Amino acid sequence: MAGLGIIVKNALPRAAMARTVVGNTFRYLLFGAARNWFRNIGSIAPALGSMTLLLLMAGVAGLAGFAISNLEHVESAQASLLHVYIRDGASSGDILSLWHRLAADPRVASVVIVTKQEALQRAESIPGLPQIASASESNPFPASLDVQVKTINDMAAIATMVRTDTAVDPVNPSSYDQGAYQRIQTVIFGIAVVGLVFLAVLAFVAVAVTINSVRAAIHSRRDEVTIMQLVGAPRWMVRGPFVVEGAITGALAGAAAGLATFGLTLAGISAGAGTFTSFAPGVTVSVAAIAAVIVLATGVGLGSGSSLVSVRRHLES
Amino acid sequence: MEFSGVTRAYGTRLALDDVSLSLEPGELTFLVGPSGAGKTTFLKLINRELRPTKGEVWVDGIAAHSLKASHVADLRRRVGVVFQDYKLLPRLTAKENVAFGLQVGDLRISNGEAMDRALDALEAVGLGDRGGSFPHQLSGGQQQRVAVARAMITQPRVLIADEPTGNLDMEIAWQIMALLENIATFGTTVLVATHNVEIVRRLQRRILTLVEGRLVRDQPAGGIGRMAWLASASS
Repeated sequence: MAGLGIIVKNALPRAAMARTVVGNTFRYLLFGAARNWFRNIGSIAPALGSMTLLLLMAGVAGLAGFAISNLEHVESAQASLLHVYIRDGASSGDILSLWHRLAADPRVASVVIVTKQEALQRAESIPGLPQIASASESNPFPASLDVQVKTINDMAAIATMVRTDTAVDPVNPSSYDQGAYQRIQTVIFGIAVVGLVFLAVLAFVAVAVTINSVRAAIHSRRDEVTIMQLVGAPRWMVRGPFVVEGAITGALAGAAAGLATFGLTLAGISAGAGTFTSFAPGVTVSVAAIAAVIVLATGVGLGSGSSLVSVRRHLES
Repeated sequence: MEFSGVTRAYGTRLALDDVSLSLEPGELTFLVGPSGAGKTTFLKLINRELRPTKGEVWVDGIAAHSLKASHVADLRRRVGVVFQDYKLLPRLTAKENVAFGLQVGDLRISNGEAMDRALDALEAVGLGDRGGSFPHQLSGGQQQRVAVARAMITQPRVLIADEPTGNLDMEIAWQIMALLENIATFGTTVLVATHNVEIVRRLQRRILTLVEGRLVRDQPAGGIGRMAWLASASS
């Protein structure tokens, strides 16, 4: 048996030392976590699947919320805009008279004349309406006076005032629908509350699933963890790999869910383009891409955050 | 290393009862006593696996008794530990196990340097040719020597060994003890908890005797005194 010797450590240049520290940190933290992740993939798979599904649902729910929020903005902007439909064959004098009457009204902010041709052009930008236009030999969209009312409360009075005017279409005099805006707001508020509760439940389930998955990993490697602690491994070296493993799980689940969210949204936009309704107001390809990135980031955050909670709770110092 | 009025209780049972002593650098000391006397508790207090219920434990100037959990790793890097069941990481080779003991304390040590020094340490314990073997490919004695190499590679100020020869035959046990003696000659305080009467008798080092948690005898080096209880415990 050989004798013991004094081991002398040479000083390293600063740059080389920094490289060594970074390399060692990477090796113990990231490489070690990746190696353990692959080794334990069997026990991680259920958590990965659950998290992917939950993130996908959260992504779709988030996009739906975005669309509803946009719808609410559109509705609130249109709520104070009254379309007064002009009767076919109304004379220019009658129309101008009505325009002057409305423009002089202190409750009105502005009045704009929209011709039948402009109404047709506007309709062509709305999904589904071009088909209606092309199905008719003549232009089916009426000319109108677009009246921007200062306060929504005066809408009813203005609509009543113009209804009997000779320039106005007696069958469909205006776009005014009493209580429609309030009903939409109530519905949107209800959907928002349900959506938020749904997202909170999803987040809770995702966190719980990940915490349990990391707890199982800690339990299966408790001997290894104990040995590391006993030989003086610092906290980050013991705990860090578990947190990184959670982040890997979250990132993979987030990537899969993000891609699925993006794909489903693209399919929805494509399908919606051929129907009479817009798929979801404001939801474009760019918005879908941003949503996918947010789902990915949420996955990483949920995975690493949940792991951190689990490590703090289940790993003794 | 110093124990001052240290008591450790598990519920109402006292595992250690008002123990006071100090160990000097370069000293190899045996900690003996029957099963349940408090030897393992004594060692765990040094490594801060346990806190004393009362009293103070000072290790290389560190107050282990009041050490925060976040600083325990700092203490453990100054205390080399050899366990009866070796506690080697099963997924690492012998060389990697020893290098791990070095790198957990100092990330500035490159992997290449750590491996070289691990190989030096393995050669010092007579296992220079088994560095690439995994723990399950080594005998009990070889695993224990790897554990000694891991404990000594950081040149700790204190080295504690809990029944390091408990699972080994006498020939290997003597080899392990020779290693521990050697380490002490370099100034490390070495404390060995053991039941092995033969080793304790023959080496004639300082002997601390614990019985039912109390330090009943502190026998200086050079004599062994009466050890009737120890003889009966080993028979």
